[in-house]
Amino acid sequence: MRADLRLALLLTRGSDRREWWRVMLTAVGAAFATGLGFAAVAVASVEGQVSTSYFHGLLNQPGQRAGVVVTLLLLWVPVLGFLGQCARIGAVHRDRRLARLRLAGATPKQVRHIAALEAGLACLLGAVVAAVFSALLMVNLLQQRLPPAAWGGFALVTFAVPRLAVVVSVVALRRVVASPLGWVRRVRPGHGRVATLTLVVPAVLVGLAALLIVMRSTGPGATSFPLLVFSAVALTGAGSVAVAGITARAIGKRLAARTGNPAVLIAAERLRADPWATARTNAAVLLVAVVGVGFVGVRQIFLHSVHHPQEGLPHSPEDLAFYTTGANLAGAAVLIALLISVGGLAVGTAESLATRRRGLAAQAAAGVPQKVLGRALLLETALPLAPAMLLAGFGGAAVYFAYGWVVDAAAIPILVPLLVPVAVYAACLLAAATSLPLLRRSVHPAELRFA
Amino acid sequence: MSSTPMSSTPMSSTQKTVPVLAARGLTKTHGRTQALRGASVELRPGEILAVTGTSGSGKSTLLHCLAGIVRPDEGSVVYAEQRLDQLPEQRLSELRRTEFGVVFQFGQLIPELTALDNVALPLLLAGASRKDSHERAGEWLERFGVRGQEELRPGEMSGGQAQRVSLARALITGPKVVFADEPTGALDSLASEGVMAALAHTARESGTAVLLVTHDAQVAAYADREVELRDGVVVSGADAVVEMFR
Amino acid sequence: MVAMSTRHILLGLLAGGPSHGYDLKRRHDERFPQARPLAYGQVYTTLQRLVRDGLAEVDGTDSDGGPERTLYRSTDDGAKELVAWTGEITPPAPFVTNEIFAKVVCAILASADPARYLSTQRAAHMARMRELTAVKTAPGADLATVLSADYALNHLDADLRWMTTTAARLTTLTAEVDGA
Repeated sequence: MRADLRLALLLTRGSDRREWWRVMLTAVGAAFATGLGFAAVAVASVEGQVSTSYFHGLLNQPGQRAGVVVTLLLLWVPVLGFLGQCARIGAVHRDRRLARLRLAGATPKQVRHIAALEAGLACLLGAVVAAVFSALLMVNLLQQRLPPAAWGGFALVTFAVPRLAVVVSVVALRRVVASPLGWVRRVRPGHGRVATLTLVVPAVLVGLAALLIVMRSTGPGATSFPLLVFSAVALTGAGSVAVAGITARAIGKRLAARTGNPAVLIAAERLRADPWATARTNAAVLLVAVVGVGFVGVRQIFLHSVHHPQEGLPHSPEDLAFYTTGANLAGAAVLIALLISVGGLAVGTAESLATRRRGLAAQAAAGVPQKVLGRALLLETALPLAPAMLLAGFGGAAVYFAYGWVVDAAAIPILVPLLVPVAVYAACLLAAATSLPLLRRSVHPAELRFA
Repeated sequence: MSSTPMSSTPMSSTQKTVPVLAARGLTKTHGRTQALRGASVELRPGEILAVTGTSGSGKSTLLHCLAGIVRPDEGSVVYAEQRLDQLPEQRLSELRRTEFGVVFQFGQLIPELTALDNVALPLLLAGASRKDSHERAGEWLERFGVRGQEELRPGEMSGGQAQRVSLARALITGPKVVFADEPTGALDSLASEGVMAALAHTARESGTAVLLVTHDAQVAAYADREVELRDGVVVSGADAVVEMFR
Repeated sequence: MVAMSTRHILLGLLAGGPSHGYDLKRRHDERFPQARPLAYGQVYTTLQRLVRDGLAEVDGTDSDGGPERTLYRSTDDGAKELVAWTGEITPPAPFVTNEIFAKVVCAILASADPARYLSTQRAAHMARMRELTAVKTAPGADLATVLSADYALNHLDADLRWMTTTAARLTTLTAEVDGA
């Protein structure tokens, strides 16, 4: 173990700039996850009825606190997506390096250790930094002694996040570990089993949660309701990956067959060759789009009903502030989720460029204009995202229409919620466009010198 | 090889008056290593010129400068009465697309595109229709003996086939000059022979000048003339003699 | 192909059927395109030696309208000898007779310019390689031509590579030769 740790440190120290990007972004992702975990633990640790001055008393009631905890935990979904994207930075290079370690005589176990330690160390760094700052912030904000259980929860989160990263990297590296000759990336393994798993597991969970609710007949209970929401979100995510992948392939095939535009041709053929890469990159964004549309719709209906109660007295100004703040806080969570997932998309685009930089330099040297390559890069994001975003819009609309129907709303908004997919789409294009300066560097003739 | 007669005749001395491409006193530094230290070379119309030298002698950098891929630190590159070292990048890119052809050891084919689309790409970039460019790309694939591989992607071809497709892509626009940087570097000797014979034959048939960078004398032997680079200067061949008496 | 046994090659050509001297020379030059052409006198003396050793015999004469010519054919011993020869390994470079190296060393001893010599020798080698490549890629070149040109090309290439490394180490070699 000591030797493995030393090797992992050596490899990290001697690695190039791209590796450092990965380490840094992974650490940032881990810090995010830790911070969210801390906030959730801190809120959950508060017991009974309290009176805080924060968020117009939103944290005072146990039931509302549970909602806040669930929201915080849901934010883990885009963060994990972001971490997944970060893990792919320099993945080809890393796989090759680990395969060489195997060739040099390292056992599968050693390689697994080394790789896991590399990922674990980066996450530990991020987690510890975030832990220190979050703990200080929490103590400062809550202005009350935290129970020992909360401290236990903090410790658990701090150590669970790097552990999780280690597990993920071990799973991701199983093929490299198996063969010293490295895994040829061009041959994509069948996604069948994994895809089924990602669909079946959340589906079972949703069923389980629904069953629990029905059996206990207590309505949305404290434990099963979050489970239901979490699973429903996961199911939507898996569904959007599937939809994005299938549409990406279909669009790629269709366009590649008939277009006369070189940029469209390149983008379409790339989509056809690997639709799942795009799907994975877009999944978190789509998920957020569904949630965002649903949320904006629900928020409008909800606030409308708060401001214009159909029966009884109008709400007091304090109550109005309380509800508005609650809705805005949830909105902030959605916005954060959007930012994180769009960040993941930017990282994914940059990574795709970095792995292809020699080929891109050769294209530029052969006279393919940078404009065409840049356009192809943007189209690769834009083409499959458009129909998927449309679908996400419908999905989100279904959510708030259902809500409106349940609460018997006076008016169901159309325009504002449906602007959300457009905004998210624009944000995605912007995120992809952040890679354009990197493209300019990638097509530099110096890249031709390295095979 | 096809049985069409070769139109190759060694350049007569009267024909070499105006070189198609001429470089004088090129220097280029990459970081701390000086790749070129005053290299001069002339490419005459329709000739195949081999630039040889050991690895690190500056061959590839010379080719990059001549093709307008890299700007030299000092010196001049003249093509069709234009100073390539002073042209804006956009014009250079256009020149490389329309009047030059480029073949590298590997990497010039887009891995996701089929052989046919890869060859058709320069025509598509020039605004030709998909149908017309496919038609012409098919003809060029046939000329290089890779008919029937149209729908294969670079990863599904052998190295020799991929290089033949690369040659077709480089020559489809009817370029004045083809730049080939170790075009057979990744091939075994038999495949290398096929690729070189195809390049030399087609270039001579169409009167295209070829600048061929290679460390392999057997590949260089396909050329009409050879210059050797050593430590960033041209040390042998006709041009070197000219330099010596200047 | 210089030090190769003419006896055995003639025996090989006779294995196809009786032949006269001029025909053997013509077929040899056709079959081995890049080899030094056989002199008729050499064919004649070699045939006489084959007859003397019982490996070939006179098959008769044939005038065919022109001057009278002697036909030869291989004997059973000749056939056996041929088979034995074709199965025998050729000693891999038994003696290194390297004129280029000898010239480099002598140039150093005579304080001449070995680098310049290597450079011009290199140019001459390249010129010959271009010629051979032109021969082998000419339309209609048969496989025998291609293969024999390849053989020569590979040897010239080996010489060239040797010259390149030698040129890079001339300083050390000069010190060694002058010091001895």
